[in-house]
Amino acid sequence: MNVNDARILLNVHQLVARYGDRTILNGVDLQVRAGEVRVILGGSGCGKSTLLRHCIGLNDPAGGEVEILGQRLDRLDVKDRNALLERIGVLFQNGALLGSLPIGQNVALPLVEHTTLPEEVIHEMVRLKLAAVEMTHAEYLLPSELSGGMRKRAALARAIALDPELLFCDEPSAGLDPLTSAELDALILRLRDRFGMGIVVVTHELSSIETIADKVIFLSQGKVLADGTLNEVKKTDHPEIQAFFSRRAAGEMRGEKSALEVLT
Amino acid sequence: MSKRAPALQYRLEGQRLTIWNRLERVETPELYQLLEQRLKQKTEIDLSGVTSMDSSAVACLIRAWRLCREQGGDLHLEAISPEAKRSLGMFRLAPPAPAQPQKPGVLEQLGQVLFAAKDYTVEMLQLAADTTFAMASALWHRSLRISHIAEQGVYMGTQALGIVMLINFILGLTLTLLSAAQLQQFGASIYVADLTAIAMVREMGPLMTAVLIAGRSGSSIAAEIATMKVSEELDALTVMGLDPIDYLALPRLIALCCAMPMLVLFADVAGIIGGLGIGVTYLDIPPVAYLKETYDALSASGLCSGLFKSIVYGWGIGLIGLFYGFRVHGGAGEVGRVTTASVVASIFFIVIVGCLFSILFYMIL
Repeated sequence: MNVNDARILLNVHQLVARYGDRTILNGVDLQVRAGEVRVILGGSGCGKSTLLRHCIGLNDPAGGEVEILGQRLDRLDVKDRNALLERIGVLFQNGALLGSLPIGQNVALPLVEHTTLPEEVIHEMVRLKLAAVEMTHAEYLLPSELSGGMRKRAALARAIALDPELLFCDEPSAGLDPLTSAELDALILRLRDRFGMGIVVVTHELSSIETIADKVIFLSQGKVLADGTLNEVKKTDHPEIQAFFSRRAAGEMRGEKSALEVLT
Repeated sequence: MSKRAPALQYRLEGQRLTIWNRLERVETPELYQLLEQRLKQKTEIDLSGVTSMDSSAVACLIRAWRLCREQGGDLHLEAISPEAKRSLGMFRLAPPAPAQPQKPGVLEQLGQVLFAAKDYTVEMLQLAADTTFAMASALWHRSLRISHIAEQGVYMGTQALGIVMLINFILGLTLTLLSAAQLQQFGASIYVADLTAIAMVREMGPLMTAVLIAGRSGSSIAAEIATMKVSEELDALTVMGLDPIDYLALPRLIALCCAMPMLVLFADVAGIIGGLGIGVTYLDIPPVAYLKETYDALSASGLCSGLFKSIVYGWGIGLIGLFYGFRVHGGAGEVGRVTTASVVASIFFIVIVGCLFSILFYMIL
């Protein structure tokens, strides 16, 4: 099956987001299909995280709509909303594991709260998920006893606890060494291939983008600058995108003068 | 690095300023003084002999250049050494920065405070309503998290019992000693028992316990929730379909409301025992007589008013702790600030409510 025929899991249409008077996103479109890794790119403060927060219903849109798995989160009542949230998984930037619970219980939390599965089955499921991220040894450890990379892997296990159809990852490689970051990338690809999940990744790590991105969306100042496959986006003739991929300072691309040029 | 004596190596001939040797933050002030006097004139600067240059010198030259342009002078560099060239090339002229926000005036500040107070009140009421609604809903659906409540209750109640009893024992002791000195003058020593019993049960027991619990459990609620918010744990709960009010707030609030009256009962007993100690040793009142007097002084209404008050204290402490925890913004540094703020607000609440209740009870009874 061609990826372009796959089911649309996430459909963001003309999203407008505001914090107080500041407009963070201004008419953003984004579509994510099953079985693809969609990377949201952009410099710091371009609205990447805001877009993510709107996608998972932590913020309600000021305009436009966000449709997850065919439903609009902001139009649902609490019960339906929670039922819909069970079908998505989120990996937060620092894992956001509950500090008071051991890893195993963290992973079990969504299962305990949202299912009526017997305890033994839940325990077995937790082990399966932990094995999927190669973290079985940490089942009884507290999050504070783990390194940053391990914490993220454990958080990923929790995110996939309920076999979500759509997975969101906020800066999975931030603050990780290249090796751990690469392992996490491989893990994300494995999830896509094995479970056919739609995966949305917010990142600005170039090496990571090259590995995982099926399609890319480039944000700048609350607008979509480019949308397409990585190669298409790379070819876009826009100074900021070019600066991003050639790792040059944005100021240089904007043609700001150096002190030397001004003074001579 | 030892401090060098500022010595700008320069020569000024007509409009040509030649600088050599180092041009770093030690020399920059002198250079700036020099250039400030020449803002309306033409200046050519020769940097060919400069052996090292840092960003302070670059900033100084740019600043002087800007001022020159405004005041009709002209400043430019003639010859530049490779070292100076590297420093000058390193920095880009910043685009014009947004205007620095002006400090608000007195009236404006007053307005901000009032608006903040309004926001606080609204948010607080909202939280109170949310928790009440969540509690009603949990009771209706029989989905109270008993194990969570019990866990919190052990921490907030059982583990606090020792310190609460000790403090109230000492309080009872002090109170009795203080009143004994006065009552002895009238030969009415036996009434210390009444005084201590009534004071402990009605006012001091609940008050002291509440202050202690505000510092112990209220602060820990605020710090815990705030930490969870800062580390996105609350967001994680929300997207897992777990309501933080239901999952975190409710167990803590209920545990606190249950633990407070129980703690206060123990506190009352500890206070009375403290009084008994002083009565027996210092005033030579027979223990049986003291206890009899205490028993006669106590009334069900007094005891109930104290216990009722303690529940309200517990509710207030919990709510204030939750409120400050949930409204934290920013990084880890904020956690400490809101924790402190929650304790101050809790104690303020306790004293105000205690006073209102006393007025109310004494007017009714």
